[in-house]
Amino acid sequence: MSSTAMNATVTKSTVIWAPLFRIATRQKAFLAILIMLVGMIFSHTDFYTAYNLLDMLNSTSILLILAFGVTLTIISGGCDLSIGGILVVSGILAIRLLDAMPMWLAIVLAVLFGAVVGFVNGFLVVHQKTEPFIITLGMGLLLVGIAQQLTDAHPIPAKNPDFMVIGNGDFHGVPNLVMIMVVCFAASYALMRFTAFGRNLYAIGGDYDVARYSGINVIATKWVAFVISGAAAGLAGVLLSSKLNTGSPVYGETTALVVNCGVVVGGTSFAGGIGGIPQSGLGLLVFGLLDNVMNMLGIASYYQVLLKGAVIVTIIWLDCFNQKVKREAV
Amino acid sequence: MQGTNSAVGTGGAVVGGESMGSLRAGANFLRDYLVLVMIAVLVVITAAVEPKFLLPANLVNIERQFGPLIMVSMGMTFVIIGGFIDLSVAGTINLVAVVTISLIQRFGQVPALLVGLVIGGVCGLLNAVLILSSGALTQAEALFLTFGMSTVFSAIALLYSGGATMHFWDISASKVVFETIGGGNLGPLSVSFVMFLSCLAVLWVFQEKTVEGRAIRLTGGNMTAARLSGVNVSRSLFLIYTLCGFMTGVGAIVLFSRITTAAPVIGAGYETNAILAVVVGGTTLKGGKGSVLRTVMGVLLVTLMSNCLDLLNVSTYLQVAVKGAILVFAIWLDNRKQV
Repeated sequence: MSSTAMNATVTKSTVIWAPLFRIATRQKAFLAILIMLVGMIFSHTDFYTAYNLLDMLNSTSILLILAFGVTLTIISGGCDLSIGGILVVSGILAIRLLDAMPMWLAIVLAVLFGAVVGFVNGFLVVHQKTEPFIITLGMGLLLVGIAQQLTDAHPIPAKNPDFMVIGNGDFHGVPNLVMIMVVCFAASYALMRFTAFGRNLYAIGGDYDVARYSGINVIATKWVAFVISGAAAGLAGVLLSSKLNTGSPVYGETTALVVNCGVVVGGTSFAGGIGGIPQSGLGLLVFGLLDNVMNMLGIASYYQVLLKGAVIVTIIWLDCFNQKVKREAV
Repeated sequence: MQGTNSAVGTGGAVVGGESMGSLRAGANFLRDYLVLVMIAVLVVITAAVEPKFLLPANLVNIERQFGPLIMVSMGMTFVIIGGFIDLSVAGTINLVAVVTISLIQRFGQVPALLVGLVIGGVCGLLNAVLILSSGALTQAEALFLTFGMSTVFSAIALLYSGGATMHFWDISASKVVFETIGGGNLGPLSVSFVMFLSCLAVLWVFQEKTVEGRAIRLTGGNMTAARLSGVNVSRSLFLIYTLCGFMTGVGAIVLFSRITTAAPVIGAGYETNAILAVVVGGTTLKGGKGSVLRTVMGVLLVTLMSNCLDLLNVSTYLQVAVKGAILVFAIWLDNRKQV
């Protein structure tokens, strides 16, 4: 559908630009990654070393795990901005619980906490039909407040050395985080690609009413998407705490918005029903790679903020513009 | 909280009949003006637990805390009535504050003030240009675009100021205008409060008595219908975002005048607080309904709540959580009203 929509808008004067425009708008993330990779060939830095690339992947892993969960909610036509709050609270919770119980139980409870918040989000958004964007933003604010209260806004250290291994260890040179991320990727990809649940989510995002009339249990299905997103954020919070060996309320501030933007950058649209797990992976890699490239090139931190903001604006703008072109072509 | 229970309780008990009609009207009124009930409950409880609350010094304090947020929220009201949202106010505040304070020394206070206001308006205008040029129609798209712009504005503020905090006492030039805004009195009222009253009067007239004001409301209610009935929707969008940017600029000036310092991060949290105040006041996020007068009540509640929680020794961190909870609750309630 999208290619016919594009063709309809192509006029004679834009013949040269149309193919370029199509590539850039259809897989913006891939293009951005390509530009950065090619650009870095000429940069005379240590960018092209196994160590750096693996390190980049390692530091993006947590964002990727968050993104895989969020993708489900966005495909179903929603969005989850509370993941930043879940991230910090579950991380702090894991570290606090570690003192009182075995490690596995603390981790399970922290992930479960994320799932419970996801359940509440699902209730508000799916069952009560509130606007997901602002209500989950409020939920995030609530959770960040709780996180600050739990820690008195100071970072708290983990006392169990075994806990640190999860986020910092490696298996024959491959960091644990990367392996966990790959497992999450495979699981969520399989869920979306090969199960009825995944297909139903696409249907719900594509057209809620049509999905309902075709006999899909829309409320339960979409609700589960929010629970999964919350649980993924809970897991990401545990991993972040383990990686830093501290729990701190400050990491959640803009994470939620960046992850949601990253998912859209990959090509999963807020319109719902389009996109997928691999696309979200690419979208978040843009941000991971951008951070890495900017650090490699020694760009001052304030300029990094500016560049990141500009990238977000540009890509969301392109996404909206795409929607507009499609609307007008129909 | 108690207010809701009673409102929902009465609403549920009503079945029909003549006398029940007035009950239902009462319940509707309560639900519509829940914020007033919440303010009353808050004042009574706090005054009972902590008598210091009613001391004149504290009331003056509340009046001064009112200043910056109300300006930003009144601008935000129009964006939300128009069916959109603006997350860039934090960045706009940062930018306006650091640029204005740095220009006082170089160009004098009045030009600095004017430049600050213009920057605010231009930030809003940029948002409108982005939204219109990309054809963003939904709140979600506007939310992410303006979030990106907030990052950009904050980054420019950081680059401009080098990350440094600037203080009034470092400025040798005359800054009497800003000192008056920050701490001056006009009769029994503070200057910032008088500024608020005059802005409120102008904006209320704009909202109720002008074609543009009603066009904004129509746009928010149903954009397609508005367009078909001859409303220039693009113009409404330009108006709401520019107005919001401008009022945010005013808010930034009131804010740094009051605290006599400007850092490139002072705007943090204002976007959520302003949205909170607008929604709690009763302006619906679905667009088309609402008023700056309602927003005044919303801001009053948020300000009173901060003050009460401070007096009751509730930690600042827990206050953030309480605000988040109220935001979620208010949006949920707002949604219930529509159904």
